[in-house]
Amino acid sequence: MSSLLPTTEAAPLARSRSYGAIVWRQLRKRPTAMVSLGVIVLLAFLAVIAPFLAGEVPIRWVENGEVSWPIFRYLDNAEYAGMLAFLLAVLLPVTVRLVRARAERAAVSPLVRAAFIHGAVWLAATVALFAARTPERHYGFFLERAPQAESAWFPLIATPRHPGYESLAHRDEAPSWRHPLGTDRLGQDIVLRILYGARTAMTIGFVAVGIGASIGIALGSVSGYFGRWVDLVLMRVAEVFMFIPQIVLIIIILAVTPSEVPPLWAVVFVIGVTGWTGYYRYMRAELLRIRSEDYITAARALGIPTWRLLLRHAVPNGMAPILVGATFGIAGAVFLEASLAFLNLVQTPSWGELLNDGRQHLEYWWGWGSAGAIIFITVLVYNLLGEAIRDAIDPRLKL
Amino acid sequence: MKTYIIRRLLLMIPTLIGITIVVYFIVRLAPGDPIEAMIRNQSGNIDPKAMKESAQKIRERLGLIEYHYLRDRLFAPEKTWKEKPTGAVFWVTDAADKVASAAVGYVQWFGRLCVGNFGESIKYRTSGGSRNPLLLMAERIPVTATLNVIAETLIFVIAIPLGFAAARYQGKWFDRASSFVLLALWSIPAILAATLLIGYLGLGGRGLEWFPIGNLHSFGYEKLPLGAYLKDLLWHAALPVVCLVYGGLAYLAKMGRASLLENLRADYVRTARAKGLPEERVVYHHALRNSLLPMITALVLSIPGLIGGSVIVEYIFSIQGTGLLLVDAAKAYDLALIMAETLLYGVLTLVFLLIGDVLYAWADPRVRYE
Repeated sequence: MSSLLPTTEAAPLARSRSYGAIVWRQLRKRPTAMVSLGVIVLLAFLAVIAPFLAGEVPIRWVENGEVSWPIFRYLDNAEYAGMLAFLLAVLLPVTVRLVRARAERAAVSPLVRAAFIHGAVWLAATVALFAARTPERHYGFFLERAPQAESAWFPLIATPRHPGYESLAHRDEAPSWRHPLGTDRLGQDIVLRILYGARTAMTIGFVAVGIGASIGIALGSVSGYFGRWVDLVLMRVAEVFMFIPQIVLIIIILAVTPSEVPPLWAVVFVIGVTGWTGYYRYMRAELLRIRSEDYITAARALGIPTWRLLLRHAVPNGMAPILVGATFGIAGAVFLEASLAFLNLVQTPSWGELLNDGRQHLEYWWGWGSAGAIIFITVLVYNLLGEAIRDAIDPRLKL
Repeated sequence: MKTYIIRRLLLMIPTLIGITIVVYFIVRLAPGDPIEAMIRNQSGNIDPKAMKESAQKIRERLGLIEYHYLRDRLFAPEKTWKEKPTGAVFWVTDAADKVASAAVGYVQWFGRLCVGNFGESIKYRTSGGSRNPLLLMAERIPVTATLNVIAETLIFVIAIPLGFAAARYQGKWFDRASSFVLLALWSIPAILAATLLIGYLGLGGRGLEWFPIGNLHSFGYEKLPLGAYLKDLLWHAALPVVCLVYGGLAYLAKMGRASLLENLRADYVRTARAKGLPEERVVYHHALRNSLLPMITALVLSIPGLIGGSVIVEYIFSIQGTGLLLVDAAKAYDLALIMAETLLYGVLTLVFLLIGDVLYAWADPRVRYE
């Protein structure tokens, strides 16, 4: 009997590619996507190392033959945490590779595992940092004392930065070598303000959308997979949040938030908590489709526990629309943050604030021009990346 | 169809109640002490101990009496409104008390709402007696509506032909250029556009003083004849409308493009071509008509978002619309007005969703709602 069958040797199975890997390969072929990604990483990098680029605290300081590195004492705990977060995010692909090499059949996908490991490392380091370290807050008058020092390495743009700084002698200066983008009404360097605004924009973009997407994924997958009354209840809750216009809810929450809450975190919280319904809907729709697929039935027949089924098989396959939505979501959050600062609803160092400052004095174009340009570039690269991801995921879906 | 609409209208009620509960509790349960916030506003951040002391002094001076909602209701029934000297206001501090009093407050608010009483706006009470939030909104709604109707019409008139043209010349330079330009327009923040328009085209600006800024009418517009009135309105609305329109183009144009492309690939178009119909007729008579269907729904569904977006435009151009009213209400903790505005936006969104669904069924006979 067996002789009747063709006896060709089974071809070695091609190494199966994960869905993410396929999308990534598609994305690599698109120059706009790669350029956009590069710009985003660059912006995040500049935001993270802002104190080394512009500021008043020297990196290296030699006085009376004594060498010190003041900037490391002066950096905030949150600044260290931000740097660590950037480093861990950039190193994520390496960990993914390591995790994948170690366990092909883990309970969750390598990306999720790697992200989990990095998240745990970051959280532990940050908690330890805040518990153990008190940054130097004493204003050192380094710029004024610079002549006394034998050697001082200042940031690229050595410029004063402290709350309430005002230098009427240097206000509204046009771009020059000393101040590449000029100075504002109070004599602050515009590059400095752009860099610190980038921190706000990046934090809000990533953290707020991260919160929103996490809530959306968690609730959406549960809602779509279990259906019935769980779905019914969650859908009603989502509808409530869907039908309050986000800007309305944000204005109300910001107006009633007391001033002792840091405004940055208030905005992050508000955008995150109000913006989850979109992700919820995507995830729910995907899971409604996925739960009747054969591989889910097969996995259930094998007796895989439900949590593992969701985390390993169902949710990763429904991530595509979330990814697209999140990319556009970050662009939207950057817009929203700038608008809120422009309208004076929050007081954080922000591009919107810079734009608002320039409103009355259009002749000093370098201030509002830089702010407008940087918002435009940031939002444009996120939109371009979002479009590219959408095309990469489904070339037919060219909406 | 009629039963469907009625059912949808009834289903709106629980959603609306949910919306009002969320907003009411957010406003009432916001952390922080209003008195301390007041002190902070006046004298900046002072140390916590001094803050507590001066807050206590202000409370005593104002005659605020500490009132534990849950505890005192049960164990100190003598502490009631009636027995206190006039002018005394109770002071609710505990978290549990806050939740309880907010819950009672919500029930009271809802009860009043059921008999058509929207409460009193505290912000506008000082200016000429107590004001009904409903009347306040009624003054503002025409302004916001005018702005949005003009903007929606323009978006539709510009975006749809652009999208269809891009689909016809798919992959050609026009398609690429239009998609890039629209994406770039979408990425220009409205706050930048508004700043530049006001600065360089607005009266009192630095450039061409072509358009007025602030408000939608000239002084004494009521006496103008209709033609001059409309001209005056359009003249005033020009800049804000530009700000509302340019960002909305991209979405609708892209949808129009996708819609026409999908229809051009459909079997009936191939049949029409196989029959030897001229290309013009195939595209304009057959494909285009079908492509317009989803556009109607998309347009209707985009209205709530546009109204939400006009909050920012109204604020920048200081146009006295509902959006600006909401910002003012929120800043003044004006609960009655906030709740009325929330209801307005909630009802608008839900109604436009329903209209979108109904229009879709009306335009496409294959769609049936049972």
